Amino acid sequence: MSSALHDVRATTAVVARRVPNLTALKHLALAPYVLLLIVFLVVPLLANVWTAVHDSEGNWSSSAFQKVLEPQYLSSFRDTALLSATTAILGGILGLVLAWALTGDQVPRRLRDALLSFSGAASQFAGVPLAFAFIAALGTQGLVTTTVHDATGWQITDTMRLQDFWGLTLVYLYFQTPLMAILVLPAIAGLRREWLESAQSLGAGRARYLWDITLPITAPAVAGAVLLLFANAFSAYATAYAISGGGANLVAVMIGFFISGNVLLDESFAAALVTGMVLVVALALLGRWLLLRRTTRWMR
Amino acid sequence: MSRFLRTAVLVLAALLFAVPLVSSGVFGFSLPTTGWTLDPLLGAVQNSQFRDQLLASLTLALLTTLAALALLIPTLLHLHLRLPQALPVAEALSVLPMVVPAVALVNGANLTFRATVPGFLTSMYSLVPFYVVLTLPLVYRSLDAGFRAIDLRTLVQASTSLGAGPIRTLLRVVLPNLRAAMLTASLLSVTLVLGEYALATLLLHNTYPVFLAQTGQDSPHAAAALAVLTLLGTWLLLSAFSLAGRRPRTGATT
Repeated sequence: MSSALHDVRATTAVVARRVPNLTALKHLALAPYVLLLIVFLVVPLLANVWTAVHDSEGNWSSSAFQKVLEPQYLSSFRDTALLSATTAILGGILGLVLAWALTGDQVPRRLRDALLSFSGAASQFAGVPLAFAFIAALGTQGLVTTTVHDATGWQITDTMRLQDFWGLTLVYLYFQTPLMAILVLPAIAGLRREWLESAQSLGAGRARYLWDITLPITAPAVAGAVLLLFANAFSAYATAYAISGGGANLVAVMIGFFISGNVLLDESFAAALVTGMVLVVALALLGRWLLLRRTTRWMR
Repeated sequence: MSRFLRTAVLVLAALLFAVPLVSSGVFGFSLPTTGWTLDPLLGAVQNSQFRDQLLASLTLALLTTLAALALLIPTLLHLHLRLPQALPVAEALSVLPMVVPAVALVNGANLTFRATVPGFLTSMYSLVPFYVVLTLPLVYRSLDAGFRAIDLRTLVQASTSLGAGPIRTLLRVVLPNLRAAMLTASLLSVTLVLGEYALATLLLHNTYPVFLAQTGQDSPHAAAALAVLTLLGTWLLLSAFSLAGRRPRTGATT
């Protein structure tokens, strides 16, 4: 009797011990996913940060970061931030207008469907082909440039070259605008017709409805999307590189320049540049994440 | 009024979006002296590197897509069935790669692997895990959306109670119901990998975008022709998935 009870107790103890083991096993199934991210994302990122705060002998050092703060390098951060902010805000405004036009149900359907699918694709267009398409249009011998020159005698590239600030802005807008439209489309489509009707029946005009209803509801989604656009432009490499042939004063292009070994490589300095770039992008995306937590509450 | 304005916006947008595409088409398929011609394009395509590097990109796209599906489908299946409390964490992890720009990832990869496994990065296939990571934010989300759209638990229980084992359930019940999501995820992954330039060029691997960039320096007309074909091809590939998403779900509902 007492031995049987003992057996039961022993079994219970074994089972009890196994239950937490089972949950551990459940989590173990996530190992490949987590491991991939650790080996191919987190470790390289940490290696960057570690290299940035050490000198070539492995001693702690902040000299790499001090070098980043020198005017010539700081200026590329400033130019990149300016380009990213400009394309994020202009792209944000144009994208909102595009999204608004796309949500109309009385517009010609074919036109709307074509632009909708095109926007989805164009938001991923950043890269070498887009750069060449723009060179074919607005480069020195581009179609638009020569046509305008033949018609008016004005050489566009005298005023705006593609590798300059406004040229790059124009190229970036080609993918930033559709990206914005795609991002805010759910928020704009989520505005209910009844809200407009309720507001109107309570005596609000169009402007009042826009200001008091539409704006507060869509603001977090819109601001979050603009932040994503900023991060997107800040990280872009291929487009700027292909347009300028590596000559643009942008952080990504400069890092690429260091990596390809075009200059004597100072590992800590390159790593410090990368760390700075990741910090900026991370801050923008953190802001977006905080804003989106507010949006999803409304859109459910 | 609003209808007119919206239509006007869409027409204007379509015209502006068309300018670089049309220009690059005209520039790429005509020469100042001969008029319309395929010569620049044919010249580039007959280059033996064109075939090799396009093939390299296609191989990478295929391998990346298969690897992503093989990794994410079992992971998501497990998460949705056994560990739903870990879903928010897994989702947060999936957007992490957005924080690290491609050039930053290359520098980190150089620092990490040149020191530990020197031969790794010299193989072109070393790009595959990095591409799985880079495409993760979009691919994870589209697959996860597929899982959320079906009543996975009921499907699995029904299948099990009818006597199917786990493998049969996966192949005959779960996967067919995820077909649209898998297609979307695959098209996204393929498109992103085919267009990826930064990692490939900075890790010294010759892929299609690297060929295109090189062509741009030697023969601008050929580059413009390839560029417009690439952009239109991307649009076609990606609009295929919006069609896939719209098609009514078929599969193991019988």
